[in-house]
Amino acid sequence: MVLADLGRKITAAIRSLNNATVINEEALDTMLKEICTALLESDVNVKLVKVLRESVRKSIDFDEMAGGLNKRRMIQTAVFKELMKLVDPGTKQWAPVKGKPNVVMFVGLQGSGKTTSCAKLAYWYQRKGMKTALVCADTFRAGAFDQLKQNATKARIPFYGDYTESDPTKIAVEGVQKFKDENFELIIVDTSGRHKQEESLFEEMLEVSNAISPDNIVFVMDASIGQACEAQARAFKSKVNVASVIITKLDGHARGGGALSAVAATQSPVIFIGTGEQIDEFEQFKAKSFVSKLLGMGDMDSLIEK
Amino acid sequence: MFSVFKGLVGSRTVSKEQLAPVIAKMRLALIEKNVAAEIAEKLCQSVSEKMEGKALGTFEGVASVVKTAVQEALVKILTPKKPVNVLRDALAAKSAGQPFVITFCGVNGVGKSTNLAKIAFWFLENQLRVLIAACDTFRAGAVEQLRTHRTRLDAMHPGNNIHLYEKGYGKDAAAIAMEAIQYARDNKYDVVLVDTAGRMQDNEPLMRALAKLIKVNQPDMVLFVGEALVGNEAVDQVVKFNQALADNSQADQPRIIDGIVLTKFDTIDDKVGAAVSMAYITGQPIVFVGTGQTYTDLKNLNTKAVC
Ligand SMILES: Nc1nc2c(ncn2[C@@H]2O[C@H](COP(=O)(O)OP(=O)(O)OP(=O)(O)O)[C@@H](O)[C@H]2O)c(=O)[nH]1
Ligand SMILES: Nc1nc2c(ncn2[C@@H]2O[C@H](COP(=O)(O)OP(=O)(O)OP(=O)(O)O)[C@@H](O)[C@H]2O)c(=O)[nH]1
Ligand SMILES: [Mg+2]
Ligand SMILES: [Mg+2]
Repeated sequence: MVLADLGRKITAAIRSLNNATVINEEALDTMLKEICTALLESDVNVKLVKVLRESVRKSIDFDEMAGGLNKRRMIQTAVFKELMKLVDPGTKQWAPVKGKPNVVMFVGLQGSGKTTSCAKLAYWYQRKGMKTALVCADTFRAGAFDQLKQNATKARIPFYGDYTESDPTKIAVEGVQKFKDENFELIIVDTSGRHKQEESLFEEMLEVSNAISPDNIVFVMDASIGQACEAQARAFKSKVNVASVIITKLDGHARGGGALSAVAATQSPVIFIGTGEQIDEFEQFKAKSFVSKLLGMGDMDSLIEK
Repeated sequence: MFSVFKGLVGSRTVSKEQLAPVIAKMRLALIEKNVAAEIAEKLCQSVSEKMEGKALGTFEGVASVVKTAVQEALVKILTPKKPVNVLRDALAAKSAGQPFVITFCGVNGVGKSTNLAKIAFWFLENQLRVLIAACDTFRAGAVEQLRTHRTRLDAMHPGNNIHLYEKGYGKDAAAIAMEAIQYARDNKYDVVLVDTAGRMQDNEPLMRALAKLIKVNQPDMVLFVGEALVGNEAVDQVVKFNQALADNSQADQPRIIDGIVLTKFDTIDDKVGAAVSMAYITGQPIVFVGTGQTYTDLKNLNTKAVC
C-alpha cells in the first residue's frame, strides 16, 4: 500500500507515547524524532520535516497543560494536524464541468508519467460520459506522438498531433481549437518533459500556457523522487499556474513522500494517483481518507478520543 | 596527580559526546543532499566509530575533522574498485570477432532508451558499428522512439553503421535480443545495445522476464539505469534488480548489475546523493552520467565535484 511503511512507523511512534509513564519534553522529543526519521526515510522534504517538528513542539506548552491524558491527546492531535497539512493544501480539488470545454495542460519533469497519465485522465472522464480528447504538444521527445497516438487509439480517444510541426504552441492552439469547435468537453494537452535548469524549456511552457489559457494545469510527479522535488515543484509553480498534482508510479514500493512535498511547494492538491502502466490503473485521491489509511485512522480516532 | 594531565589530554581526543551532535548534523546534511537515509546513517556510523577516541591536531575542530572524514568516505564509495573502460572492452570483443552486448535495465521513465541512444552515438564517434535491439515490446511508442533515434544518428553518421533490430510489440523480449545478437554477428555489427521495458522492482513477473533475457543472452555488460532524482527508493531498486538477476540465474556466479548509468544529473542542482546511494549499495561503478537530452550529454562522473 501507498506509504504503508511510513504509516506504520508514525503510528508506532504515537503509540509509544501511550506507554510512557510521564509525558514530558523528553518523551515528546523521542516521539518526534521517530516520526521525523520516518518522514525523512520516505523522502519528505528536509525543510518540511523541520517545520512539522517545530510546529508540534510549539503547539505543546508543558507548563500550561493539565493532566497526562490531556497532554497525550494534544500531542497526537498536533501531529495529525501537521500531517494533514503535508498532503492537503486546503484548496478545492479541480474537476471538469460538463457541457462546456475544459482545457487541461499537463506539465512536469522528464519521464514523470505525463503522457501515460494524460491518457488515464481522458479515459477516466470518458467513462464518466464526457466527450474527451488528447492533444500532443510534445514535439521534442522521440516517439512522443506515437506514444500518445497508440494510447489514445487503444482507448478510442480522439487525438491531435503533427509529425512534422516543431512548434508546440502552434499544435496546442490548433488542437484545442479543433476540439472546441467539435464541442469536446475535456481537452487534455500533453507537453514535453522539462526542468527548471533549462530556462528555454520553461519559457516554452509559459508560451503554450498563455496561448491556450488552460482551465487547469496538472503537475505530474514520480513517486520515487527525493529531495530535488521541492525546488522543481516550486519553479514550475512560479512559472505557470499549477493547480493540481498527479503522483505516478505508486504501485510497488515507492515512498511517495518526496512527491507529497510537491503539494506544499505548489499549494495544489493531489487529484489522482497512478498505480500501474495500464490505462485503468488510476485512482482518485482524497487527502482525508489517505491520511486515515496512512495512520490506520481507526487507531488514530481511538488514540485521540482517549 | 596525573589525572589533571589526563583530563587535558582527554580534551584533545574526540569523545562520543562531542561527536554525537556533529554526526547528527552531518547525517541531516547528507539526507538534505538526497543521500538515502539508511546510507547516510551507515556512513555516519562508520565515520563516528573511526573517529572516537582519536587525537585531534592542535588547531582542528571536531566538525572539520568529521567533514574531512565523511568526504573521504564519499570519494571512496564513488571511486570504482576496478577500472572500467567500456570502449576498450568493446574493442577487445571486436578483435575477437564477437559483438559486444550491453543490456540496459531500470524502472519506468528513468532514461534507458535516451541514454542508450547517447551511448550509441558515442560508439559511432569511436568508429564502431552499432545495432540497437528494440526489446521494449510493451510501452506505447517505445519502438518508434528508438527508430527516430536511429534515423537521426544515421544522418549524423552516414555509412550504414547503425541499425535497429525490431519486431514490433507484444513479442518475447528475450527472443528478440537473441535474434538481434545473431543478426549483429552475421552483419558485422560491433556493439549490440539492448533496450528493455521499464519495470517496477517489485513486479515479479516482469523482473523474472528481465532475468530470463539476461540469462539466455549473457550480455557482456548489464547496466542499471537510475535517475539522479530518485530518493530513498534508489536502495530498494538496485537491491531488488540485483536480487532478481541472482535468484533467476541458477549459476554459481550469477550475472548481476555490472555498472550504473546515472541520468538526469542536470536536474538536481547540488542534490547529488542518489549517486552515493546507488554506488554504496551495489559497489559498482557509475559508468556514465546523463546530463541532458541531446546525444552529447553523456559524461563520466567527476568524483571530486560531487563530494
Ligand atoms: N509502474 C508504473 N509506471 C508508470 C506509471 N505512470 C507512468 N508509468 C511509466 O513511466 C514511464 C514514463 O511515462 P511517460 O508517460 O512516458 O512519462 P512522460 O512524463 O510523458 O515522459 P516525457 O514525455 O519523456 O517527459 C513509462 O514507462 C510509463 O509506462 C504508473 O503509475 N506506474
Ligand atoms: N534532463 C534530462 N533528461 C533526460 C536525461 N536522460 C533522459 N532524459 C529524459 O527523460 C525522459 C524519459 O527518457 P526515456 O529514455 O524514454 O526513459 P526510459 O527509461 O526508456 O522510459 P521507459 O522505457 O518508459 O521506462 C525523456 O524525456 C528523456 O529526454 C538526462 O540525462 N537529463
Ligand atoms: Mg511524454
Ligand atoms: Mg524506454
